[in-house]
Amino acid sequence: MSAIIEIKNVTKEFKVLNRREGLKGSLRDLFSRDYKTVRAVDNISMTIEQGEIVGYLGPNGAGKSTTIKMMTGVLEPTSGEILIGGVVPYQNRTKNAQEIGVVFGQRSQLWWALPLIESFRILKDIYQITDADYEGMLKLYRSLVDIEPLLHKPVRQMSLGQRTLSDILAAFLHNPKIVFLDEPTIGLDVSMKAKIRTLIHALNREKHTTVILTTHDMGDVDALCQRIVIIDKGKMLYDNDIEHLKGFFGAYRTLKIRVDGDLKAQAEEIGKALPDCAVSADEDWISVLVNEEKQKVMDVLAQLQKTHRIRDMQLEEISTEEVIKKIYEEGVQ
Amino acid sequence: MNLKKYLTLTRAGMIEALQFRLSFVIIAVGNVLYLIVVYFLWKSIYASAGTDIVNGMTFSDTLIYLVLATALFNFMEMYTVWEIGRNIQSGKIVLDLLKPIEYRKYLFWSYSGSFVMQFFLTFLPTFLIVAAVTHGTIPLGINLLYFIVSVILAVSINYSIDYIVGTICLYTESIWGINIMKQVIVLLLSGATVPIAFFPEGLKQFVLHLPFQSIYNAPLTILLAKDPAPESVLRTLGTQLFWSLVMMIISKLFWKVSLRRITVNGG
Repeated sequence: MSAIIEIKNVTKEFKVLNRREGLKGSLRDLFSRDYKTVRAVDNISMTIEQGEIVGYLGPNGAGKSTTIKMMTGVLEPTSGEILIGGVVPYQNRTKNAQEIGVVFGQRSQLWWALPLIESFRILKDIYQITDADYEGMLKLYRSLVDIEPLLHKPVRQMSLGQRTLSDILAAFLHNPKIVFLDEPTIGLDVSMKAKIRTLIHALNREKHTTVILTTHDMGDVDALCQRIVIIDKGKMLYDNDIEHLKGFFGAYRTLKIRVDGDLKAQAEEIGKALPDCAVSADEDWISVLVNEEKQKVMDVLAQLQKTHRIRDMQLEEISTEEVIKKIYEEGVQ
Repeated sequence: MNLKKYLTLTRAGMIEALQFRLSFVIIAVGNVLYLIVVYFLWKSIYASAGTDIVNGMTFSDTLIYLVLATALFNFMEMYTVWEIGRNIQSGKIVLDLLKPIEYRKYLFWSYSGSFVMQFFLTFLPTFLIVAAVTHGTIPLGINLLYFIVSVILAVSINYSIDYIVGTICLYTESIWGINIMKQVIVLLLSGATVPIAFFPEGLKQFVLHLPFQSIYNAPLTILLAKDPAPESVLRTLGTQLFWSLVMMIISKLFWKVSLRRITVNGG
C-alpha cells in the first residue's frame, strides 16, 4: 500500500465582495473594493492509501467541495501542499485528469443527446483507453450490473438513477487511480441506492480504485467506508476508522418508550427528571438518549417505571447518523 | 493516435446534430425570411440610387454576396460564447476542465461535428443553388481552393474571437448582453450584414485594419472576385493568417490568465 493522496496543511481562502443591502447598496457595490477573506478550508492534512474508500463528511458549506476541487486541480490551495499520485494537481491538470474520475451527483458528464455507448466510445478516445482495457472494463460492468438496456438509451431519456449509475460507470471507465464521488446517491430511491453502493464497492474491490465519497446519507457511509474524515467550517474534526467513531460515542444508547397521554408534555417532564439525558418526542415515541458512563439504561428504565405506565419500549444502539449529527452539533471533545 | 482524441468529438457532434433534425428546417426557414428582407431592402437601395452599379457592385453582386455571407454565418457561428457562459453558470465547466484535453480544443472539437453538418446541409446547398441560378457569376476555378483555405482561416479567427468573449464571461457571469454585443460588432465590421465596399471611405480603411473583415469579407472577396491578381489573393490570405495567429495567441493567453484567477479565487 502506498499513499495516493497526500495533503499537508492545506488552506484555501476566497476573497468575497462585501455586499450591501438594497438598491442603493447594490449600486455602491459596483464600485466597491471592499473584500473580505473567507477561509473555506483551514489547515487540513491527510494521507489516503491506494484502494481505500474514504467517506468525506461535513455539514453543508463545510468546505468539502472546495477540498475536492483542490484535489482535482480545479482550485489552487492558498497554502499547503497537495500531491495526487506524486503530482501537484493544479499544475498538471491534464496529467492529473488521466488518473482521476469524477461524479457530481447533480451534474452529468455524459453526452446528453447520445446513447450511453456513444459516451463510452468518446471517453475511450479522449482518455486513450486501449481496446483490450475498454473491452475488459465493459465485461466487468456487464458482470456487475445489467447495462445492456442502458447502453442504447439516450442519456436524456434516463431516470435519475440510471443516469447516476451511468455516470459512475463513465468515471471508472479509464481505470483511474482515484474516483471522487460527490453525493452520488442524492435523490435516489432505496433500491437504486443499494445498487449503486454495491457497484461502487465491487469496482473498488476489482480495480483497487481509491474512492473519495462525500455524502449526507449515512447509509452510504455504513455500506462503503472503512474510514471517515469529517470537516466543519473548514477545520478537520475527525479522521479515523468508522469503528473507532462508534466506540467513541458507543456509551450512548437510545431508550424509546411509549406512554399514555400527551407525549410532548411528558417528554418535558422526563427531561427535567433526568438531567443527564437528552429527551425528545415524536408522534409515537419518547426518545431518551442515555450516556451509559453516567447512568445505566436499566436504571433509567426503572426510574421511569415508577412515574409512568410504560406500554412499550425499544432500545437502540446509536447509529452512525446520530454520531455524525452529534459531531456536527457539538464537535469532538 | 492523438488526432483520434479530437475526431471522436467531431463524430459525436455530428450524431448529436442529426438528433435534432427539426433545427435544420428552422434554420432554413429563418434564412429564407432573412434573405427576403435583404432582397427588398437592397432592391429599394438600388432603386433610390438610380444607377445600376453602387460602390462598384451591381444589385446581383450584392445579393450574391449577402446570400453567401448568410450561408457562411450559419456554419461559422459556433455559439461558443453561449456554450462557455452556460457551462460556467451551471458549473459543468468543472467537469470539462477535468478532461485530459485543453478546454479550448475540447470545445472547438465538440462543436466541429455540427460544423461539418452545417457545411453540408446549409452552406453547400446554398452555394450550389446560387451558382446554378446566377450561372457564371461565381467563377468556378482555382479560387474555390483559395476560398477553402480562406474559410479555414476565417473559422480559426472567428473561434478565437468567440473564445476571448467567452472568457470574459468568467468575470461577468452573464452571457446575454456580451454575446449580443459581440455578434453585432462582428457581423457589422466583418462585412456580413453590409458589404465593406459600402462603408464610408474612412470607416472602410479602419475596418480593413481590424481582424473582423478576415472572417466574412476576405473569403467572400476571394470567392467572388473575377480574375484576381495572385498577389492580392496572397495578401488577403496572408492577412488572415496573421490575424488567426495573433487572435489565437491572445485568446490562449487571456484564457490562461483568467483560469489562473479562477483557480485562485474560485468559480
